[in-house]
Amino acid sequence: MSVRAQVLAGLATAAVAGCVPVQIQAPDRPIEINLNVNIRQEVIVRLEHDAEDLLQQNRDLF
Amino acid sequence: MAHVRIIDLVAPALMGAFLLAAALATPARAQATDPVIAQARAAEQVGEQADGYLGIVPGAAVSADVRSHVDQINIRRRALYTRRAQQRSVSVNEMAAAVACEIFQSRIALGERYRDESGQWRQHSAAQAVTRPSFCPS
Repeated sequence: MSVRAQVLAGLATAAVAGCVPVQIQAPDRPIEINLNVNIRQEVIVRLEHDAEDLLQQNRDLF
Repeated sequence: MAHVRIIDLVAPALMGAFLLAAALATPARAQATDPVIAQARAAEQVGEQADGYLGIVPGAAVSADVRSHVDQINIRRRALYTRRAQQRSVSVNEMAAAVACEIFQSRIALGERYRDESGQWRQHSAAQAVTRPSFCPS
């Protein structure tokens, strides 16, 4: 659960408890959690030398 | 007894030199491109994928031998990517993608099939250059 979701849950609990009459607006979009599965181009650039090295050193695999 | 000891010292050194020479001579053979895979590539049955691994072209009638070679190479590639990824603190997929960029840059021969990042199989032809994945540096 993200921090934002936890905060929302906490506020919701407080509201339900009836202490503060706060209106909680539910998010209209699901909370996105970036798992960083995308390939980052700057990382690829940094790995260019390593990639070439692996190809040169393992010709039987490529 | 002294000369025996000298021989005891020299013999391993000679043996070591011999083994070193043998070790230097063999990689050329061990490092050679897999002939089974080379043939399957030329026959348009097997190709490089944008994920850094070999793939079997759908519908291709590949032998069990070719299939096994593809599997073995991919297992060993994954081990390579994993080790280097750990050394560079990147994900295995990123290391594999970086290698794919190099492969797609210059190592797909004319006539060979390859699988682009959308999963579609294409063919390198004189009329159509290899389409590199979008994550590759231009």
